[in-house]
Amino acid sequence: MSLPASEAARPDDASLSLQFDDADADLLARAFRTPGDGPRAWRLNGEAHRISLIDGFDRLLAWPSLRGVVRYPHQERTCLRVLREMRGRAILADEVGLGKTIEAGLLLKEYAIRGLVRRALILTPASLTGQWREEMESKFELPFAVLRSVGDWERRPFLIASIDTAKRDPHRALAQRTSWDLVIVDEAHRLKNRLSVNWRFVAGLSKKYMLLLTATPVQNDMDELFNLVSLLKPGALHTYDRFVERYVGSADGRVPAHVPELRDRLRDVMVRNRRGIAFTLPPRRVHSLPVRLSPRERRLYDDVTEFVRDAYWSVSGRMSWAARLTLIVLQREIGSSTFAVAETLNRLTQSPLFGSAERGRLEALRDDARAIPSNVKADRLAGFLRSSDEKALVFTQYLRTMQYLKGVLERDGHRVVVYHGGLQPSAKDAAVQAFRGDGQIFLSTEAGGEGRNLQFARTVVNYDLPWNPLRIEQRIGRVHRLGQEREVHVVNLWAQDTVEAYLMELLDRKIHMFELVVGELDLILGTLDDRRSFEDMMMEIWTLRQAEERRAALRRLGDALVRARDQYDAMRERNDEVLRDVSDEVPA
Amino acid sequence: MSDAEALRRFVLDALADVGATVSEAEPLSWIHAPERVRSGLEVPATFAITFDPDRTGDFEAELVAPGSYFLERIVALAASRGRWDVARFEAPGAGWIERSLSEAGLGSETGVHLETAELGQTVLLLLSFRVTLVSDEKREHFHLIAVSPTTGSAWEVDPTVEDSGLMAFPEARIEPDLETAYRLGTEKLRETTREAVGAFRAVSLGLLEEEVRRIFGYFDRTIEEIQAADPDGSQDLLRAVQGERDRRLAETLERFDPKARASLCAIRAIHVPTALLRLRLPHGSGIAATVDAWSRRVHGLACDICHGIDGPWIPHAGAVRCARCPPTPAESVRPRGRPRSDTPRRGTRDGRGSARSPRGSTARSRASSGRRRAP
Repeated sequence: MSLPASEAARPDDASLSLQFDDADADLLARAFRTPGDGPRAWRLNGEAHRISLIDGFDRLLAWPSLRGVVRYPHQERTCLRVLREMRGRAILADEVGLGKTIEAGLLLKEYAIRGLVRRALILTPASLTGQWREEMESKFELPFAVLRSVGDWERRPFLIASIDTAKRDPHRALAQRTSWDLVIVDEAHRLKNRLSVNWRFVAGLSKKYMLLLTATPVQNDMDELFNLVSLLKPGALHTYDRFVERYVGSADGRVPAHVPELRDRLRDVMVRNRRGIAFTLPPRRVHSLPVRLSPRERRLYDDVTEFVRDAYWSVSGRMSWAARLTLIVLQREIGSSTFAVAETLNRLTQSPLFGSAERGRLEALRDDARAIPSNVKADRLAGFLRSSDEKALVFTQYLRTMQYLKGVLERDGHRVVVYHGGLQPSAKDAAVQAFRGDGQIFLSTEAGGEGRNLQFARTVVNYDLPWNPLRIEQRIGRVHRLGQEREVHVVNLWAQDTVEAYLMELLDRKIHMFELVVGELDLILGTLDDRRSFEDMMMEIWTLRQAEERRAALRRLGDALVRARDQYDAMRERNDEVLRDVSDEVPA
Repeated sequence: MSDAEALRRFVLDALADVGATVSEAEPLSWIHAPERVRSGLEVPATFAITFDPDRTGDFEAELVAPGSYFLERIVALAASRGRWDVARFEAPGAGWIERSLSEAGLGSETGVHLETAELGQTVLLLLSFRVTLVSDEKREHFHLIAVSPTTGSAWEVDPTVEDSGLMAFPEARIEPDLETAYRLGTEKLRETTREAVGAFRAVSLGLLEEEVRRIFGYFDRTIEEIQAADPDGSQDLLRAVQGERDRRLAETLERFDPKARASLCAIRAIHVPTALLRLRLPHGSGIAATVDAWSRRVHGLACDICHGIDGPWIPHAGAVRCARCPPTPAESVRPRGRPRSDTPRRGTRDGRGSARSPRGSTARSRASSGRRRAP
């Protein structure tokens, strides 16, 4: 039988009295036995305590001094609301691109500064663990570790884990045994089903505060919303039967009922900032610059592709993961430049991954690559840049391509600034400063200015195209983000009859990826195939031997992408219908 | 002074206090730290700090801002030093005893007569405390409590004025009764913070009650719905729901359980001139009291009504009562001596009008109702 609520809530003692620290006795024992540190030290002791006093959540302490973060008022409002009114249990359901990760990181930081969070767990899809770790470190100085072994549950107070790993034994038991101060779940729409292992795992975690991050709390039906809210605050939407009776208007559970009342209830647990007038991003204009390879480049491309296909299928089933990865790198590099691929070919001539016959072929390919003095694509890039006075960010995946392009562009009279992961932090700062000053071209690898404020430029050139579309999106996101006021130009260079041409076909023509807001692509690809990455799917198509087979597979993937995009559009509309105006705030 | 300026001054001062040399080169400050503090601060011999988050990339400068790791370390360093100190206070010229008595409500204008004053020295102790209230939020306060072990009294001191007039006295050798001082100080701190602690507890328990009610409501009704849908259904399902309810309740109780902690931060001993006084009250016999030149508090008196030992005082029927205690009924209708006022009385040209006739509340009430009735 249940205890009456009031009885359960009342501790036995009627008052709360101060408990004094045991360490006080040490000070009493030591004081005045030796000379003190002087009156200034006494005064500073008092100031040290007063400066570090915490007075509830009267203001955000870390917000004014975050590094590499462009601060927006809606994020500050959101955090104060979660801290003061929702008391640390909230669904952060901002529309895509409004900075849910920043809000979550800031909340975590505010709790950590106050000593209220000493153990925190971030659960994400596996592909995002590294990104979360990097952001928490660089923007919030929060030393998170990514889960590597079972010992990490005990050792690491700030841990990031893939939810798919964490929910399985032995990790599950260890995670649920730990008492977490804060649990953050990214892509929380994966907790939509209360019978799923994901939902039950998160429900079974012992936690004080919890943040669920999702731009689409309702994916298919209203049950998902109920399950998400019940995880956070059971009873906030009544019991399940009452919820269905009151707020679901159709048998398939897709149509909401009594929506204004439902929104009222959701306001206690959810913040959803929407893009408004201030956050309407300027349009993107996409420029496609196809290139016809020179005969020598063409021959090298085809020969490398043939080698990759042969190697990929010749030892099918027995090929090591390392060998498979090597072949993917080789194929990607030849899509970037002959200079990038020449270095890898040279390394592979010594590699034990290949037999002597294959090494012979690799040597010949290397010599062919080295014999090509320039690339047509670089000439096309130089031509494009000559036609524009704008500052431009030029992205490549490879350092060797970057070095080659730097020479080409400087000879052409451009002031080039290079930026890559190997630079010291101070050199990176200097590079951004130089680009902000009189630099014309910001030539960058994938590490290019993550978190840097580069919105003063508005042209992004993809000299080569990463096979992972999210990386392309990240590049564009460097300039097409909150704060950009001018139309953004995205320039894609790609050679005909290459993997990159396939990518353009799928991403540009099929799903109009370059028109999406940063963050939306992830949601589209997320519905595509849980088991294989987009890169793997591309490689499997590209290595098919028959051209007809390749075309058919490409068509199938294209159709799947279109369906995923339609599904996403429908989902977005559904969320807007239910959750519009959930936040009292004016649109951001 | 703005928060930012105060932070900057504190950090540079704290670094200088441990022997670091600081050279300013806006927007950076270059610090050369002595060997003994480098490991504690986790810094090399020479390093840069900045208070501007956008300049942390310059020479890999350490950011000093709320929440920054460097500020955390410098605060910890400063809080580990200066934990005891000795100071002295010099009497501010002649007449301090009379001024102190007057401020305490016992000046000659009240009819109190100072018979004798025997001068001496005493040691007061200042104890600083950090009070932390925690439930699912945290609120902290800093308190400075002065204790006079000789008179057994303790009182709160405003930290912003505590330092004024004090001089370093490093050569003093003292062995104060810290146990007694700590006991008196902690008792006073409990009294001072009682209201804030009570309010914090009430808020936390209010939230806890609301959460617990919602959890019980949700799970109990869910169980009813399950039973109604399938009266012969599995008991395992019901047990699982009850298990989840108990787990959520435990989580909630833990989250909103209010705690109040206090820790002693530092102690300062102050050598202060004192005077042992013999006072004669109007209509009463003589009483003994002491007064110190630093706090100017008169010790050794107790309120005739509430027995409190904090002034200011009002002489009362051969004894004293504290100004906070209401006058007795007899006192309120009886004319008594008041301190002379410079404010002219209403209704007279030069302020020398006849004194108002003493009236009790009934008389005031009648007078006002009479005015209301007048045509």
